[in-house]
Amino acid sequence: MKLFGLIADNILRNPVRSLLTILGTMVLVFVVTLVWSILDFLNAATATRTSNFKAIVTERWRLPSQMPYSYAATLKEGAAREPGHIRPRDAMCWSFYGGSLDREKRTRENSLFAFALEPPKLLTMMDELDSLPPDQHREFAEVVRRLEQNRQGIILGRQRLEAIQKRVGDRIKIYSLNYRGIDLEFEIVGLFPPGRYDNSAAMNIDYLTAALDAYQRENGQPHPLADKSLNLVWLRMQDTAEFDRIAQQILTAPYYSNPAVKIETASSGIATFLEAYRDLLWGMRYLLAPAILVTMALVISNAISISVRERQVEFAVLKVLGYRPFHILSLVLGEAILVGSLSGLVSAALTFSVVNYVVGGIKFPIAFFGAFFIPSQALLWGTIVGAATALAGSFLPAWSACRVKVTDVFARVG
Amino acid sequence: MAQAQPPIVVVEDIHKFFTRGSERIDVLNGLSLEVPEGEFLALMGPSGSGKTTLLNLIAGLDRPSQGRIWVRGQEISSMSEGQLAGWRTRNIGFVFQFYHLIPVLTAYRNVELPLLLLPLSRAQRRRQVLNALDIVGLSDRIHHRPGQLSGGQQQRVGIARAIVTDPAIIVADEPTGDLDAKSAEEILDLLCELRSSLGKTIIMVTHDPRAAQRADRVLHLDKGRLTSEVPSAVS
Amino acid sequence: MSFLGLAVGGLLWGGIIPGLSHFVTAGTLLAVVIVFLLYGASRIPTSYNVLNLQVRWRTTLLTALAFTLVTALLTVMLAFVNGMYALTLGSGNPENVIILSEGSTDEGFSNLGFSDVNDIGTQPGILQEDGVPLLSRETYLVVNQPIPNAPPGRPKRRFLQLRGIDDPKIAARVHRVELYPGGEWFSDAGVRQLSDGQIAVEVVLGEGIARELARDRDGNGAKKIRLEVGDQFILNDRPWLVVGVMQSSGKTFDSEVWGKRSLIGPMFGKETYSTLVARTASPDDAVKLRDYFNRQYKRAAVNAQIETDYFASLSETNKQFLVAIAFVTVVLAIGGVFGIMNTMYAAISQRTKDIGVLRLLGFRRHQILVAFLTESLMIAVAGGVVGIALGCLSHGWTANSVVGGQGGGKFVVLRLMIDADTIALGLLLTVATGILGGLMPALRAMRMSALDALR
Repeated sequence: MKLFGLIADNILRNPVRSLLTILGTMVLVFVVTLVWSILDFLNAATATRTSNFKAIVTERWRLPSQMPYSYAATLKEGAAREPGHIRPRDAMCWSFYGGSLDREKRTRENSLFAFALEPPKLLTMMDELDSLPPDQHREFAEVVRRLEQNRQGIILGRQRLEAIQKRVGDRIKIYSLNYRGIDLEFEIVGLFPPGRYDNSAAMNIDYLTAALDAYQRENGQPHPLADKSLNLVWLRMQDTAEFDRIAQQILTAPYYSNPAVKIETASSGIATFLEAYRDLLWGMRYLLAPAILVTMALVISNAISISVRERQVEFAVLKVLGYRPFHILSLVLGEAILVGSLSGLVSAALTFSVVNYVVGGIKFPIAFFGAFFIPSQALLWGTIVGAATALAGSFLPAWSACRVKVTDVFARVG
Repeated sequence: MAQAQPPIVVVEDIHKFFTRGSERIDVLNGLSLEVPEGEFLALMGPSGSGKTTLLNLIAGLDRPSQGRIWVRGQEISSMSEGQLAGWRTRNIGFVFQFYHLIPVLTAYRNVELPLLLLPLSRAQRRRQVLNALDIVGLSDRIHHRPGQLSGGQQQRVGIARAIVTDPAIIVADEPTGDLDAKSAEEILDLLCELRSSLGKTIIMVTHDPRAAQRADRVLHLDKGRLTSEVPSAVS
Repeated sequence: MSFLGLAVGGLLWGGIIPGLSHFVTAGTLLAVVIVFLLYGASRIPTSYNVLNLQVRWRTTLLTALAFTLVTALLTVMLAFVNGMYALTLGSGNPENVIILSEGSTDEGFSNLGFSDVNDIGTQPGILQEDGVPLLSRETYLVVNQPIPNAPPGRPKRRFLQLRGIDDPKIAARVHRVELYPGGEWFSDAGVRQLSDGQIAVEVVLGEGIARELARDRDGNGAKKIRLEVGDQFILNDRPWLVVGVMQSSGKTFDSEVWGKRSLIGPMFGKETYSTLVARTASPDDAVKLRDYFNRQYKRAAVNAQIETDYFASLSETNKQFLVAIAFVTVVLAIGGVFGIMNTMYAAISQRTKDIGVLRLLGFRRHQILVAFLTESLMIAVAGGVVGIALGCLSHGWTANSVVGGQGGGKFVVLRLMIDADTIALGLLLTVATGILGGLMPALRAMRMSALDALR
């Protein structure tokens, strides 16, 4: 540690070089953080969990899944119908209602896509919303209460609200894309907490059901999607055993014949979707990220070897003064690691705050995930990645520095 | 010149050669030498005579191809490189022609460098550094960097760094080679002072006859052998 | 300059990614001009730079390697997006009109009733052959297929895109798809009895999905590259028999399974048609037919599009990927700029004396500038060219992905594709980075006064 001062002083020796190396490391750590954040999120989403996880029930064969809403009541009970049958801990039904604010011209900006559901489930069954910190939970619970009381209410994500240029309290009319002929008026009752649901919308399922009924009264025939309005049922499972039992109950139930249904864990369902991106994700994981790491190591290695060559005489002097090779090795490695880990940490911290709070997530069109956020562990990765690439990159120059032969440097055979 | 106590440096029939490709270059050929404690010895000789090599061997920077060297009763010619490094810190102070200070460090931190290797507290290090800088007369320049000091002042910092661990022997390779006459005189005064008041043994390689004059004894080398031994006029 | 030929090639040879071409050609031209100006302006022999690079071979190598990696990445990523564009731009025929139900942006959501479909077939403007209108009547479905022997940790299902076809001969004519020799289109019945007595659904596979399905067969026996005629797979708990493999590379059909519509549709609960594709005599006739269906045809509300436009509208994802790649590339290039700046600053501080001597000999400031810029360009281009060459190795790799627009998408198997644009863009990046990174150090070298430099 006594050598730490020497290391710090040396970073200031050539401020331009140190700055360039720091900036180079920072931009590269930035990209790695983005890539790993996406991969990390997808990993977590597809990781098999064995307790307190969610399962999804969908139509067995076809995609998109469209089931009669009559399935909802029994599916929410896990098709429990006999003594000894068990029920899931919680359940949520999803119907999708999408459309645009302009009947004629549909654009990305004026479109929105809402989950039609029972409002209270927003707080207990939706990923991340079911585990909000207390103050956010309190705030969002109030929004949910308003949606429950106001059947025409709609909750929007912040970016969606901005895109359609409305404010909370405004009324909007949506011309539906999938429920043709069922155009609905909404009042914006509140916002999702910032983050994952920035581009989402949620409405009260009762509103959609009532509108389908009204359609039948007015047109004399049911809407084409009338018996296809249930898209997804979520069930909360205590553990794998419970999942297996409930899956059995549902698959043997006589209620779901046309169409048949399937049940899978949420992670396995997501994994199926991601399979379409298999090669892309492989490329990100095994080509892009490693190549960036190697580039980083090269940039650092370059800077350190330049510096080592300039300091040949200095290292020789230190050796004359009694410094051992490992002292010199640690001086050089220490400098690289200090630069690397600090730049990594700062870069990750900047990425974390800018991407999450200013940009609103990484917009990368993979599956149905609208945006990816930087997890707080990124600060740790950033630091480690910076330090590790610096170590890798500086090892050879450091080795050559500590092998400096005093008599060669002062090679004047006098 | 007869001394009651044993000599501090004993060089016994050393040979040193380098190989360049297939060619063998003999630098030192069977040289023997004794240096009594507290002597100020000057080594002179033309380029290639082996004087710097001899200095490096005595200072433990290099090992002889053949022959043995004792310093303060220890045979350094048989020590490993690692042992030598630790031994140097405690026993040898170096003064270079081009000072070789580390440009990013202040005078204080340059002088402190060898002490970082010893088990000393920060306060102990501080006391020794300030003491060394006081001896060389640079107490008012401790926070200057080498670039802000004159050549003579830089060499004083170099000397302070050489004595900060309180070594018995100071080796100096052309310590005045890069200085003007006045600064050179001051540096030589300082070296004499180190010998007389601190009792350091000083071995100096030089081209400069005036510098050599200040030594107790001058040895001439040529082609790796001692050619003559001249007691200095001054002593 | 070795890359001149490549750059000129880029000018002559159009690329695939739309809109990119002009940008790339202009940029490359600019880069070439800059390099030549530099080359002409400097009187300092290039060998001086080359020798210096050799002397500092370690930093030169490290810097060039960083360039190699960055350009190789860029090239592979561009080849990927190129492959996506090749699919969306190469899938349709300009003489074809695709008809979906009104409001459907994607085949998956489209519903066309029987009677409407029959009526549409009788409309004028559709090319006739032997008295039969060239109108392919199809139902597009995405279904879940449980994957047999799914290895642990891998998904247990995949999405399979099925296309139910009324008449495969007409579909083949309309879509201009042919089978590999040895295959045949499925029969009118669409099923065949297997030797074990089971009834198998006859299907024709796109080449991409034939390879994908062959993955299930890993493990015992010889590893198959793709399913061939006579092979079977399981879907909906019954056997499906491959009777043909389509020469579908470069089209979205590559990832589809085609079978008899009257069998497949009802099997998965889709009784109606999703898609009609009509062949007309020429692209102009196709425009007329499209307008007729969209404006005058009243019997059913339909959405008619030229087939090429329809597939082009699926390029939304491509654009997003392109933006992501551009972003990553720019950031990486910035990293490269910092790297080369380090190298060049060091080169200059090491050679301060050289600069002084050159100036004393009468070389002008701008010649010093050019000499050092040339050097950084040399490093960048050497690294970049190797990187592009490495990236070119990815040409022809297949990868699965999704192409799509608003509200719909298709699972596709694409081929990574290197073309003149990819190469030109890689070079452009290289040259730009080399110049940007070399400029500030070279300016410093230029500003040195001869006497200061020699001191």
